[in-house]
Formats: sequence, structure tokens, C-alpha cells
Amino acid sequence: MQVNGQLALTVLMGIFLVAVAAWLARIENWRSYTPIGGGGALGQQEGYVSEEKPSGIIRWLTTVDHKDIGLLYGTYGLIAFVVGGLMVTVMRIELIDPGMSFISNQFYNSLLTSHGITMLFLFGTPIIAAFANYLVPLLIGADDMAFPRINAIAFWLLPPAALLIWAGFFPIPDLIPAQTAWTMYTPLSAGVGAGNQANAGVDLMLLGLHLSGVSATMGSINFIATIFTERGDDVSWANLDIFSWTILTQSGLILFAFPLLGSALVMLLFDRNFGTTFFAGEGGAMLWQHLFWFFGHPEVYILVLPPMGIVSYVLPRFSGRRLFGFKFVVYSTLAIGVLSFGVWAHHMFATGMDPRLRASFMAVSLAIAIPSAVKTFNWITTMWNGRVRLTTPMLFCIGFVSNFIIGGVTGVFLASIPVDLILHDTYYVVGHFHYVVMGAIAFAGFAGLYYWYPLYTGRMYQKTLGKAHFWLSMVGTNITFFAMILLGYGGMPRRYATYLPQFASLHQVATIGALILFVGQVIFVWNFVQSWLEGPTVDDGDPWDLRESGLYTAEWDWYDQKLQTAIADGGEEEDSVLTDGGDEEESVRTDGGDVDAADD
Amino acid sequence: MANKIFDRDTLLDLTVNVVPLFIIGFFVVGFVVLAPFGIDPLASAIQFGLLAVPFVLLAVLTYFAGRAVAGAEHSSDVYLPGQASVRGAEPLEEFDDTPESLERDQTNAVEGETADDAADDH
Ligand SMILES: [Cu+2]
Repeated sequence: MQVNGQLALTVLMGIFLVAVAAWLARIENWRSYTPIGGGGALGQQEGYVSEEKPSGIIRWLTTVDHKDIGLLYGTYGLIAFVVGGLMVTVMRIELIDPGMSFISNQFYNSLLTSHGITMLFLFGTPIIAAFANYLVPLLIGADDMAFPRINAIAFWLLPPAALLIWAGFFPIPDLIPAQTAWTMYTPLSAGVGAGNQANAGVDLMLLGLHLSGVSATMGSINFIATIFTERGDDVSWANLDIFSWTILTQSGLILFAFPLLGSALVMLLFDRNFGTTFFAGEGGAMLWQHLFWFFGHPEVYILVLPPMGIVSYVLPRFSGRRLFGFKFVVYSTLAIGVLSFGVWAHHMFATGMDPRLRASFMAVSLAIAIPSAVKTFNWITTMWNGRVRLTTPMLFCIGFVSNFIIGGVTGVFLASIPVDLILHDTYYVVGHFHYVVMGAIAFAGFAGLYYWYPLYTGRMYQKTLGKAHFWLSMVGTNITFFAMILLGYGGMPRRYATYLPQFASLHQVATIGALILFVGQVIFVWNFVQSWLEGPTVDDGDPWDLRESGLYTAEWDWYDQKLQTAIADGGEEEDSVLTDGGDEEESVRTDGGDVDAADD
Repeated sequence: MANKIFDRDTLLDLTVNVVPLFIIGFFVVGFVVLAPFGIDPLASAIQFGLLAVPFVLLAVLTYFAGRAVAGAEHSSDVYLPGQASVRGAEPLEEFDDTPESLERDQTNAVEGETADDAADDH
């Protein structure tokens, strides 16, 4: 009886909400709805971009230009990468010997938690947003993002998010860093029991995480709107580039995953501060894990799909041919997007859930391996018999494919319940996902940073340093994370600050690998910053010689046009807008009328 | 109309998503036939729901994506992805609705690896 009453209430509420939505749709003309200061339909000339930009720091604080915001995201992401990298370097040094040597176990736990959250939420998501903001409007022939100001707000939510997440590390009395690990499992994260996790530092971390989720959601809505409505006339679904496809899919995933994380975080905060009992009673721990991983697994693909897009985009340019099976890659990206919501409990095989449910999650987890494998074969086939040029971005792409194969294959084994029950919570899992996040995602990020370096800096990086960066990263990654896989086979549990002496040598190998990685990243930072300031300027709109293989694309064409208008204002390009001093052009080029301006 | 869009080559492109559908279907049949953990109304309903929902959603999304891409292919010029808004870019295949040209369009689009004929106007 009571259940029926609740059911009736739920249905009523549903009808009410639909009615509200319908009413809103009637009174507001959504087609002409201009969100903030004029959203701009395709082809319209808009106010914000064409105005003269202020100079100095004010420009960066007030900008709504997608390229500037992309650079802000990139700077932010790289700073977070440095912070997260330094954190893990300290951890790896601590793990040189089995006991507690130079940092306390509590501090190790704090670093472990912050390393994970920093790398996933403050480096991973923002660095992808950096590429997407800068490139997607150029690639699809849009003036700017659909909602430039929401774009700026989404970015500016991130610095406070970082401050909140790191707050526990600042010298503030009575505030300690969270030690919950990035998964924030209850009851530990609920602050109950004898531990110290009732501290306000954990609350601040949760709030910061929530803020970063709001930022990601706003960004994703913006990308979806941009790719659906702002494409240039000739950019149809049939010739949308692969990077934009992956950003579109990723944005869809963010749209469904991050609000759920936000809700779960609010529930957890209420449990901690207002005496609610969402995660307190019987099954509370399971509830948290279900909610968290329903977000957490799609998050994996939120982080990996755009890097796959970068590799699918860059790798063919240096193979001298088109991406093999382009549409296979597109459709398999979409397949990953859907299936990623049906596999979350493969992180929970060891919780004692009903074996029937567990079997279903295993089945979908095995199925989702196919689309990823398809892509791998496509990349290999693209290079097969191609004219491969081993530039730095290409090296990182090949490194991506190589590391992704190891990370992926180790993952397929984990998807199998009996194997998972043995390897669960060991370093095998850590090795597996680091092959993906460091070996693949970060490598693709580097590939993109090097490939488009001339585009966003106007300068060229130092090639020798770039290659040194690649080789140190490749060697370091494989030493570190392969040692972890072996540690996992030996039964070394993850997350511990100390370990049994029998694991010492493999831990030392992993630390040496991490130090090699560290040296590589120091070289990267040096190369990146110094070349930006002093590198030779790139006066060629086609720095990678893509025209001769017919693989020239829109973002370089934009760069080429920018160079020409900056040097000798052509004056006769029919439909370009020269209202902003002629240096930030991105007009929609609707026809091929002025081919002679290109390079002949 | 549907047949016009979902011709042989488009279906071939979509096979990439049929494979995971097949794997899910395989497990559905396996769980029905073998029922390794017995049948319980609630648990079994969730068990098959967890397989059916992704299966249906993937099939639906694949259908709509295929329709959007193949539809755009048949109704406008096809450029190399990322090249459509390049100044002076030449379409790989111009839109032309004579039956023979449609035929040729699709064979070329499927064999995306032949780079030699792309925009060699320079
Ligand atoms: Cu997962």
C-alpha cells in the first residue's frame, strides 16, 4: 500500500515536471533565445570577438575568446600536471625502502589522494578542454564557442576548485588533507569512526571536486551546442573531423556522468555535516560505490576518448595517408560512449554482490573492449606501408598505441571475474590504469602539444629536446608500470605507504622508472617554456608539410591566413572580417574562391 | 528511403558496432540457457536489464549516427574530415545524385585509406 502511494507520487511529480517543461517551451521562443548577450547563430558576426582585446593581465581575466580560454585551460592543466607529478615523485622516493622512511604514512595517504584527484580532475579534464576550446571552433568553421561567456565561467571555476582540493596542504591551523583516495569510499570518507577524516579538509576537497564537476558540465554543454549548431556550411556529419567527434562523445558522457558525481558528493557532504544517513546504514558502502562508479567508469572514457581523437587526427598526418577506416573509428567512439555506462560494477566484483549482476557487468566489460581494439588496429593499419615521419608528435602517437595496447590488454583480463578476484586491489590494477592514463592519455596530450605548438605559440619547439622527452617518457613509463604489473602478480596490495621486504627490488625498479620519467618532464617544461619565449618563429602556414600529401586541415589554414593578414594584409579576401586589427581571424570560409592565396 | 541510406557500404561501416552487440547477445543466450546462478525474479530481471539496456541504446545510437553520417554523405559534398573549411579545398566526392556516382561515392568512402587522390591540386 505504502509502495503504491510512493509510486503514485513519483508519477505525479514526473507529470508535473513534464508539464512545466512543456509550458516553458511554449512561452519562450527557444530558437531565437540568446543566452547571454547574444549567442550568435551560424555566420552572424558577433560582438565579443571582433572587439579590440585589452592588453596585459586584463585581457586574460576578461577574455571570452575560445583560443585565449584554451590557452588558460592549457596553462592550468600543465601547472596541475607539475603539482601532481611532484606529489607522486615524493611518494615513489618514499617507496624506495619497505619501511616508513622520510614522510609519514598519513602524509603518504594525503599525497596518494591528491595525486589521483589532481591528475584526473585538474590536469586530465582541463588539458582536454584546452585542446577542445582552441581547436574545435577552428576545425568546424565556427566563429567561436556557442556560449563564449559560459565558456569563460567554466574555466574560472577551476582555480578555486584547485585551491579547495589542495587546501589541506596549506598551512592553515586544524586543516589536514583528505586521505580517502580518489574513490572516496565510505565509511572512511563519511568521517565516522576513530580516524581523522572528519576534518574540514575533506569537506573542502569534496566541495572543490564538486566545483570542478560544475565546470566540466558547463563546458560539455557548450561543446555539444557548438558542434551541433555552429558548424560551417561545408562541415557536415560526414566530414566532421575525428577530434570533434570524440569531443562530442566525451561531452555527452560528461553531461550524464558529472551531475551524478555532484549529487553523490552533496549526499556525502550532508552525511558528514548535517546528520543525514545516506551512506550510514546497511548497504551504505555499496550505495556509495555504485553511485561513484556509475560516474567513475565513464570518467575513464571522458579522459581517454579525446586523446584517442588526437592520435587519430595526428597519426595519419605523419603516415602520409588518411586514417584507415575513419568511420569505424567514429562509430566505435560512439559505441564506447554508450557502453561505458553499462560496466561500472566491474570495479566492485570483490564486494560480494549478486553473482548474476556481476556476470552481466563482465559481459558488457568484455564487449566494450572491441571498440577500443578496433581503433588500435586502425592506427596500426594507417601506419602500415605509410610514409612514416618520426617527428616528436608522431613518436608520442606511436608510444600511445604501444602503451595503450599493454594498458588495454591488462584491462581485458581484469574484466574477467575470476582473474579480477585474484588481482583486485593489487599493484596490477595500478599498473594497468597507469599504462592508460600516463602511457596513453598523457602521451596523446604531449603529441597534441607538440603538433599544434606552432599554431598556438607561433614558434617551434626544440626538436632534440622533444625527442629526449619522448624517449625518457617512454622508457620511464614502461619501467615503472611494468614493474607495478609484476608487483601485482606477486600480490603487493595497492595504496600502502609501507610493504613487505620481498617486494623491495620491484619497488626500487618502479622508483627508478619514475625518476627517469621525472627527468623527461623537466626537459619538457624547459623546452615548452623556453621555446615559447625564444624559439624560432614559424612563418609557414604548413609547418608539417601536409599539403603535399593532401592532408592539410582547417586549423593550419586558419594559421596560414593569420600569418598572411599579419604580414601583408591581402586586402581582397572577400568574406574575412578585419575589424579586430587583423590578427585573430577565423571567419567562416564558405567557398574555395581564393585558392591562390594559399601557397601557389 | 531507409534502404537508400543504409546501403551495403554503410552497413559495412556499422558492423564495427555489431560486434559488441553480438557479444552482449551471446552472453544473454548463455545466461538464459545455462542459468549458472539460478533464477531469482529481482536479480535475474536486473541481470538481463543490465544487458538489454546497453544493447538497445547502442543499437539506437548506431542507427541514428549511421543515418546522420550516411545521410549527409548523400546530400552534400564530402571532404576529407577536417578539410571542409580549408580555403580552396576540393571535395573528395561532389554531391551528385545520379545512381552511378552514388555507387562510386560509397566505395571510395569505405576505402578511406587511399590517400593519393585527395586534394592533389598543389
Ligand atoms: Cu571501469
